[in-house]
Formats: sequence, structure tokens, C-alpha cells
Amino acid sequence: MTDIKTANPAGFGRRAFLKGATATGLAAATMPLGSRIWAQSGKVLRVSSYADIDALDPGFYQNGYNVDVMNCIYSKLVRYVPGREWDWELEAAEEIEQVDDTHIRFKLKKGLMFTGGYGEMTAEDVKFSFERVLEHDSPVKSDWGPLDHVEVTDTYEGVIVLKEPFQPLWTITLPYGTGHIVSKKAVMEATESGGNFGMEPPAFSGPYILEAWKPNQYVHLVRNPDWKGEAPGFDEIRILPMDDTKTAERAYEAGDLDFTEITLSSLAQYRGNEPKDTVIEEYPSLYYVWLGMNLDNPVLKDENLRKAIQHAINAEQIIDAAYFGEAEPATGMIAPGLPGHRETPLVPVAGDLDKARAFLEAAGGPPAEPITIDALNATVWKTMAEVIQAQLSQIGIEVQINVQDSGSFWTLGMESEGDRWKDMQLVLNRFSMLPDPYYATSWFVSDQVGIWNWERFSNEAFDKLHQRALSESDGDKRAEMYRKMQELMEETGAYKFITHEGTPVMYREGLEPALRPDGRPLFIGFDGET
Amino acid sequence: MLFYTAQRLVLSVVIVMVAVSILKLMLHVVPGDPAVLVLGPRATPELIERTREAMGLDRPLLVQLVTFFGNIFRGDLGHDVFTGRAVSRIVLEQLPYTLILITVAIMWSAALGIVLGAYSALRRNTWFDTLSGIVSVGTISIPAFVMALYSVLVFAVWLRWLPAIGAGEGFVNSITHLILPAFAIGVSWVGYVARMVRASMLEIMGQPHVRMARAFGLSERRITRSHILKIAVLPAVTLIGTGVAHLFSAAVFVEVIFARPGIGALIVQAVNERNYPIVLGAVLVTTGIIVLATLISDLVIALLDPRQREEL
Repeated sequence: MTDIKTANPAGFGRRAFLKGATATGLAAATMPLGSRIWAQSGKVLRVSSYADIDALDPGFYQNGYNVDVMNCIYSKLVRYVPGREWDWELEAAEEIEQVDDTHIRFKLKKGLMFTGGYGEMTAEDVKFSFERVLEHDSPVKSDWGPLDHVEVTDTYEGVIVLKEPFQPLWTITLPYGTGHIVSKKAVMEATESGGNFGMEPPAFSGPYILEAWKPNQYVHLVRNPDWKGEAPGFDEIRILPMDDTKTAERAYEAGDLDFTEITLSSLAQYRGNEPKDTVIEEYPSLYYVWLGMNLDNPVLKDENLRKAIQHAINAEQIIDAAYFGEAEPATGMIAPGLPGHRETPLVPVAGDLDKARAFLEAAGGPPAEPITIDALNATVWKTMAEVIQAQLSQIGIEVQINVQDSGSFWTLGMESEGDRWKDMQLVLNRFSMLPDPYYATSWFVSDQVGIWNWERFSNEAFDKLHQRALSESDGDKRAEMYRKMQELMEETGAYKFITHEGTPVMYREGLEPALRPDGRPLFIGFDGET
Repeated sequence: MLFYTAQRLVLSVVIVMVAVSILKLMLHVVPGDPAVLVLGPRATPELIERTREAMGLDRPLLVQLVTFFGNIFRGDLGHDVFTGRAVSRIVLEQLPYTLILITVAIMWSAALGIVLGAYSALRRNTWFDTLSGIVSVGTISIPAFVMALYSVLVFAVWLRWLPAIGAGEGFVNSITHLILPAFAIGVSWVGYVARMVRASMLEIMGQPHVRMARAFGLSERRITRSHILKIAVLPAVTLIGTGVAHLFSAAVFVEVIFARPGIGALIVQAVNERNYPIVLGAVLVTTGIIVLATLISDLVIALLDPRQREEL
């Protein structure tokens, strides 16, 4: 400061100010963004999310983007292991074991603290967290299946008691959304009834705490000062919501992000032309995309017509056109790596035009009127519908494409939403999935007809297998049941499975991301330099 | 003037109420059950029904509409169906971002457009006028979202001069985040304003009062500034006033492309999620602003133009 005064005895005049301001402005504008944005000390991880958070109570969670944050701010008994194969490992639990088909004994690690002075995590908190999901009729109470109660046997120990065996407990319930443990005292104080606390967690128990949430801007997580476990790799995490993955790609290229998911179309462009200092990895997705047919629609009542359509569709061509050849064809609903995945479907992936023509002849020829195909209004769906339209025209079936916005599309087959389901014929559908096959088959049982089972497929054998598989502890037998269930679906002719899509991601060299086998991020496991 | 203002105010309230009622009707007709969306796919039909009742969706449309307006007059715009937060709070959080964005966009574009238009008129039929015409028509024809995409590509991705996403934090950081979005929205307005001012100036330059001013020996600079430009900018003021709706539309795309918070991005997200309280609350506020902006521009013109003032 003294030097400046000596060098400028005339003082800080207008010209000097303008010069200084210009220089400062230029410096700010030309500074690399990474250092300009959120310039602070410590390691900061900047990532994108496909939506902004809208539920932070694990007992009432919706959607994976909320669970990504919950993973950071709450603890669970067990968690997913990052890597290429589905597995779990201990988190808040020091020990956990399946005592018998309906009893799971756990022992918590000592010294896990809730923030805000709510004390140490105890088995009572575990009991409260799990039972409130059922007591308050959570929309995701099915995650807890046949939970009866949690028995507290000691300050840190307890037993989860089920009414009947429930295999998804280890693959979905405990390591995912409703498996997170909240503070009984904190939640009771915040809500009185122990119900949904919404977006204001009364206490945290994970390696991070929610420092700030600016809706539609960012979620800011910082280290939990009370966290006694292994320190996470970053001091801060900034999660930026971006509905459009292409926007996230541009933000990454501009240096605003360290990690992001990318689209399959961009993956094709990035091959051999990836941004500087970037690693691109591909993970298989759990989503499943299929063409469904409404079994109760008069035109599609004829099984031969359905099978003609099923065999005329070439999934490989659809993937080439809509996903730039970057996704793998699906053999069913259940993705590779999960029990019940089939190596080959009954109907060839590439279809069989000769068989399609034979089925059509048996059906008495193509329908007199064009049949309709409903699809979402995004490019990928329109492209898929157009390819299917072209493929079906090869056997003389005319198709009319109806594109709809998401709100309209997702109620198309619901009986509660009027009579639109009656007119629905072909529908291009895509469901998300959790890492247990039961999650996929549960939408196609008879009870779901007119809700999410838009094909209106109802099969007693399928329903029985679905129930039996939930409690089957023999892995091989269980897998076989799910394979059989997919065969039953396919045999109706109402399903043509297309793809599981994929989850390509890109990140800075030096960053060590922790990802689930389906490419979803587990932020607390991220490490390295950005 | 006072009566005129009061009359316009009442009309503005009626316009807003009609617009929101039509929107409510449209939302009612469009398929998509907010209760299903808020509860997710695994909710039981009983829970969905209970939620529909709690959200008032089972009531007749007219009752819903009356309740909605009743709540508005009590300052209650409802609650976000997902987070449970007050819609008024959400809208007020997002609105400043959009207002700042469109204000900055219109300010820089109007400033540049007026200068460009005035200079073109004064240098009519010169190379500058021709160039200005080409640039103006060129910018008018480029939609804001195209300009947004290319400006991100050039200035954020290739040159890395400016950030690609977000709104930033702190004064300087927020300004750097504002430059590209405001540029993208404002570019086409430069052309509009320049064309409007040029045409208006050429018309006024030939009017008797200008010839009179010259006859009195006033300097060209003074004639241009006080007797031509002052009147010539009036159509531009009207254009900007009525153009607020277009600015909001442009902001929708630009906010999505720049992953920037704002009322446009909020509406897009809410429509996709069938988050009706937010759609209604946000549209109510934007309609109110658009109607108000039109009213203000009319009043400003009335104040600036003595002929109109006398008519009132």
C-alpha cells in the first residue's frame, strides 16, 4: 500500500479509476472460470444433476436425484459399493446379518452423531426411521415390503422383523432411499407426528451437511464437523441442477463442472474428440425401453397381429437411429448384471420379417385403419417411433405417431385419468429401475392393470411367480423365476424390448469418481483432484 | 389523466384475472394428474385419492377458481406440490433474476439501437445506413435461443471468457454470469429499436416544426436532440412496453439454455411436472408485469407526447 502511495502522489483520479476498473474487469472476465466461480479454499467438487432436489425426507423420497443428496447427508446401515458389480458394504452398521428368512440383526457403529446436538445414533433411531415409512403411509412404503417392526435389543443393536421373507431388502431397501436413518428426537421436534419433514432436515448424520439450497441454482454440501467416520474426498460439493444434459455437457466443456453424465448422442461425437484432460466412461443403465401393445384394444386383440408387429421390429435399427448405435439391445426388462437377466429373448433382437409376414397372414392381413403409436415428445422417442413406423410399413401395417408432453404421456394408460387408455394401441415406454428384478416385474402384475400396466397384461402364473420370487432365497431359482416371467410377457406378443440405454459420464483427469454399476454417482466416495 | 390512469388500472386487473382463469381452465383440460406426479409411481390409489382431495383437485373447476382468487386476495398463491414451499416465496425468489436479465437486455439493446437508428437516419443512404440496415434485419431474424447457444459455444466453451451456466454469486460474479444471457436476449432488440428509430426520425425530420427550428437558426445538433430524437424514440418506448411479453418468452429459452434461475425456467419446469400452483402463481405474476409494463409505456407516452396528453 505504501508503495502505491509513493508511486502515485497525485492520488486516485478519474482516469486512474477507469484504468483500474477496466483492468479489474478484464482480469475478472479473462480469469479461468474454475477459479472465478466459488473461489474458496479447499477441494470443491462441481457436478450436475438432471433435476433440482424436491424431497429430502428419506422416508418419503422420490427420484434418484434426491437420494444422491441423501447419501451424503444421512447414514444407512449398508450402502452400495462403487464399481462394476452390484454389492453392498457396511456404513452405519458395524455388523449386520440375516438371522433367518424374516429376521435381520444389526449393530450400529458407536459414535455416529446427529448434528444440532441431537446426540448419538441409536437403534431407537433406526426403528423410528424404518417404521415411520409404514406408519405415515409413505408413497414408497412398498420399499419396506413386509416389514413388521424393528425390535430394539440394546442401545446400538436391534432386529428388523419381517412378516415374510423379502429379498429386495438387501438390494433396494437398506442401501437406498428408505434405508437412511434420521434422528427420532429431531424429527419429532420438527414435525410432532414424525411425518414428512420435507425440505428442511432437522439433523444430519452423514459425512456432509446441507449448507445451502438455492432452488434451481445449486445444492451446496460441506463437510459435517460432527462426522467421525472416514473423511470424504472433498471439502465441498456443488450440485447444479440441469434438466437438459446437453447444457451440462456445455458447462463441463466451459470448465464449470468436474463431473457430468452425457447423452448417448454426444458420446458418439466425443469418441476420439473428448474435451481436454477428460476421461469418458460408459456404464450400462438399468432403464428399460420397450414397445407395448394394449391387449384390450379391439384392433390388437388378435395375438397374430401383435406377434406380427413384435417380429417386424428390429431393435438394432432403432438403436442405431435413436441412440447413434451407442446402446445395447435389451433382451427383457432386467438389465445385465441383475438376477433374471436373459441372454436372448424369445423374439430375435433384429426381428424376423418372414415370421412377421406369416403372423400377419394368419391375422387376416393388416388392420384397415392405421394403428397409433404414442410416444414422448423428445427427439429420441420421435425417432424411435418413426423407425418403427418404417419397419411396420415393410409388412404393410400403417402407423400414425402421436407425440405427447410428459405430463400427458405418463397418464395415458391410467384408468383414473379417463378413457384415453381404451384408444391407446402401441406405446413406446421407458421405466426406471432399481437394482432388483422385483422392481421391474412389480409394474406388470394384474393389480397394476390400468395403473402402470398399460398393456393390460394379466397372467396368473406371472403374478404367482412375482410373489414367490420376492421371498426366494436361492439366487439361481430366483433368477430363473424372473426369466420365466419375462418369457410369459413376451409370449403374449404385447412386448418388444428395445434397449436399456446407457449411462456415459465424463470427468476431469485426476478425479476418482465413485459410481454405482449403473453409472449413478455416489458422491461421498469421490476423491482425487479436479 | 387521473381518470385515464384509474380506468387503465381496473382494465389491467380484469385482463390478469381473465388470463389466469383461461390458464386454469386449460390446466384442467390438459391430461396429467398432479397427485400422481407428486406421489410417484408406487403410491397406492387410496393415497392418490387422498392427495387429490387435499390439493382440492376433486372440487368443481368453478369452486377451485373462486378459491384460487380468494386466496390471491389474501396473498396466498398456494404451495409447491413437491416441496411444500409457498408459491409466493418461490416466485419472488426467481423473479428478480428474470427482471434483472430482461432489464439489462433491453437497456443495452435500446441504448445501442437508438444510437444506431439515429445515426442511420442522419446518414441516410450512406454505406453506414446500408450496413446498419443489414445488421438490424439480420439480428431481428435470429431467435434468442439460437444466439444463446452460439454465444455459449463461442464465449464460454471455446474462449472461456464467460461462464456457461448459473447466475453467479456476489456482484462481479453475477455480472459475468449476466453478460451472455442478456446479450442473447438483447441482440434482436437492437435491430427492432434501430429500425423503429430510423423510420421515425426520417418521418419527423421532414415535419414543419423541424423546418421551423432550422429557420430559427438552431444548431443541427440541438434540432436533432430536442426536436427530432425526443419524438422519434416514442414508438420505441411503445415497442419496448408491449415487447415485455416477448422478453419474457425469450427469457424462458435463455434461462433453460444457461441453466439460470428465473421465472421462465420455473414455469417450464412446473409445466412439465404438472405443478399447477407454481404454474398459476408464476403466470399470474408475469401477466401482471406484462400488463403493468404496457400500462406504464402508455402513460409514459402520454406524458412525453403533448398531443396525447391533451387528448386525455
